[in-house]
Amino acid sequence: MEESTPTPAQTLEDEISDLQTKLTSLKSQLSLQTSTLLSAPSTRSILPPQSPLLTQSNTQQSHNLQSLYRACASITTFRARDPDPNSVDNGSILGLRIDVVSRTKFLRPYYVLLNRPYPGSKHLRIHRHTVPPCIPLSGLAARYLPSDKEKKQDLVRFAKVLRREVTRYHHRLGVVADLREAAVGEEIVEVSAVDAEAKQVSFEWADGRIGRLVMGDDGEVEKLVVVVEGERDRETGRELLGGKVDVQEIVRRLSGGL
Amino acid sequence: MSRLSIPTTARLPSTLHVDPSNPTVSKYLNRLSRQSLISLALEWLDENHLPLAIPYLRDPEDDSSQDYENDFYPPESSPEALQEEYLFLQSRKGSKREIIERITQGDWRHGLTLYQLAMADLQYLYDHPTSQKWTAYRIVPLKLPSSDDLDGEQQQEVDKTSLVVPPFHPSVFLRSLQEQIMPDIKAHYNFDRHKTLPLLILRIFIVDSPYNSAAATTGFDSSKTFFLAFPDASPHIYLSKPQAIGTGGAGQGGESKSLRNLIVEGIPKALSRPQQRFTLVSTALTTRNLNEILERRGDGRSNYAGGGWSIYADERKGVKESPLSTVLPLPSPPLSEITEIEKGKGDGVFLMTDAERMEEKRRKRAKMVAQARFGDTGKIGDGKGVERVDLVLEDAFPDVRKDEDEEGDVTPRPKTGRKSGIEADLDRMDVDDEEGDHSEVDKNWRPYVRLTFHGSHVFAGIRQLVEAGVVDGEKMPGWMTGEEGVTMGAVRNGRIRGHKGSGL
Repeated sequence: MEESTPTPAQTLEDEISDLQTKLTSLKSQLSLQTSTLLSAPSTRSILPPQSPLLTQSNTQQSHNLQSLYRACASITTFRARDPDPNSVDNGSILGLRIDVVSRTKFLRPYYVLLNRPYPGSKHLRIHRHTVPPCIPLSGLAARYLPSDKEKKQDLVRFAKVLRREVTRYHHRLGVVADLREAAVGEEIVEVSAVDAEAKQVSFEWADGRIGRLVMGDDGEVEKLVVVVEGERDRETGRELLGGKVDVQEIVRRLSGGL
Repeated sequence: MSRLSIPTTARLPSTLHVDPSNPTVSKYLNRLSRQSLISLALEWLDENHLPLAIPYLRDPEDDSSQDYENDFYPPESSPEALQEEYLFLQSRKGSKREIIERITQGDWRHGLTLYQLAMADLQYLYDHPTSQKWTAYRIVPLKLPSSDDLDGEQQQEVDKTSLVVPPFHPSVFLRSLQEQIMPDIKAHYNFDRHKTLPLLILRIFIVDSPYNSAAATTGFDSSKTFFLAFPDASPHIYLSKPQAIGTGGAGQGGESKSLRNLIVEGIPKALSRPQQRFTLVSTALTTRNLNEILERRGDGRSNYAGGGWSIYADERKGVKESPLSTVLPLPSPPLSEITEIEKGKGDGVFLMTDAERMEEKRRKRAKMVAQARFGDTGKIGDGKGVERVDLVLEDAFPDVRKDEDEEGDVTPRPKTGRKSGIEADLDRMDVDDEEGDHSEVDKNWRPYVRLTFHGSHVFAGIRQLVEAGVVDGEKMPGWMTGEEGVTMGAVRNGRIRGHKGSGL
């Protein structure tokens, strides 16, 4: 493998792409600095009352407040408009935003957009949403947001339960990832979630033993089966559990914490 | 291969050899390009697949090479040597025929296994991703027919099953699917992971024969192939239209259809378990584009957030929307974000005449409107397009004398009389609305209008029309943006899929 000397055109191309990366990072820095400066109380105090920057500072302040609510409350609402000219209720939309933290990061929020399609009743209905299909949203809606005029809707309960389901789902995903990190080694070669809800975890041992763990809603071990050559291997199962009943505790035990 | 052919209920074994002279073999191989054929042969020789694709080899003990002197394709002594041979063929140019002949008359002269044929067929699917037409179905808990909803329009019952997400286990599914199949037909199944997409593909090859031995291969003329695709982490299933590979003519159409129906009816039963019954419901989406179907019926966030709503589903904006990000979502400081619309500025704005400036303004506005209505969807190069959309308009003809009321929910239902193939389908999409139930004489004239959009990427085309100003993006009804994610539907009160305009 010889290293060919780059042609002038190549050098230029590289330089251009370098500069472009620099440009993007500088731009993001600029916007970050701007927002920081605008949020600082000292900046506000020196701005003259008629300055257009003051309006911008106010926008920034309200954005900061909004972000604070979103970070702390994790369920927030907002209003939106349906651009469809034939939309119900003049296109008024109530948006639910659910912020989830998973593995130390805020994920892209989940949105549920509700409208009021029923004539003569204020009942809400799910119009659009970005909730993953492994969350039984329609079942939850039937429970807490019935379309029947006579029945009462409970948006708060709905939002709470939905948030819990979403959070549980992400915690389960996180636990499976932790389990993989802790368990995979010489003996166990593969740990993965095998169903949509990430409630079932499959284990593969290097010597051909396979196992299946069923997790409950709150991360408790519901079932565990280890099979070796078509026979159930209870010994290995017990060894894996180590007397624990919670998947998180198993993770802690395997990684040497307990 | 046993010499006795006994009718059984077992499936066709993967190791069953099919004679190379069988027209099915040449049909599968002839469809592939030279490059695909070589890589296929190399895959067969890979140690993972070798047990099911053993080539014709020379006995290593036997040195008498004169046995093969007159052989045009003298057999190699080991799979590794054969691999070398194919790698050599790969490196040089040549005809496709050369490879096919080498496979059928040389290295696999004793026959190709069903497993090899399945791999050849799947290779064709990967080479031609649009060769199959897929229909998406949703797996839902089975209920009594009264609460059976077609598109989630009807409320689900409040019980435990409404909160169940259907699980899927490939091997269990296959075993119970086999149990559903009558003993007088035989099927061969082959699971494969899609090479690029998060899909598990099951190829089912059905032969109309009671035998699972070599005797079955005579029935290949009337064989049928179809594919099931299971998206990861999504309670959906995609079915392809069956294809006849054999020479069986049109006369057998009805019969092969029933073969397929047998399997299709078996699928929900195979998905079910004792005390937990599931059924398939159509989701009115049929397309050749697997990317699109995964986008709208997959495991992501975009299932029920199409069109302009896709801005809520876009994963890439995650960082910007984090509550910890203090950066304003608006392009507030100058230079911070140059949007595409702004880029056009400065190219001689001052030299423009008033008319040109107006035109420029209108163009920009149309572009922004298109962005609002379509979001990030419906772009020509995104590879997520449907090629056909069928719609029935059931709205009353706009009355010129009085203004059409926005709240059209009280208008009575249209007459239902005419029924033909696709319309019966379209009617099923339709959910009766309670308001329309009182049998009132229909005074409004409701013309029967059926629209069919056809093209390589229907909604990208509409978006382009909006951007070009041909279609008024602000007055355009929502079903023209594709946000409902259906390719078949009835439009009532300007909204698709049930009159409330919802996509739950």
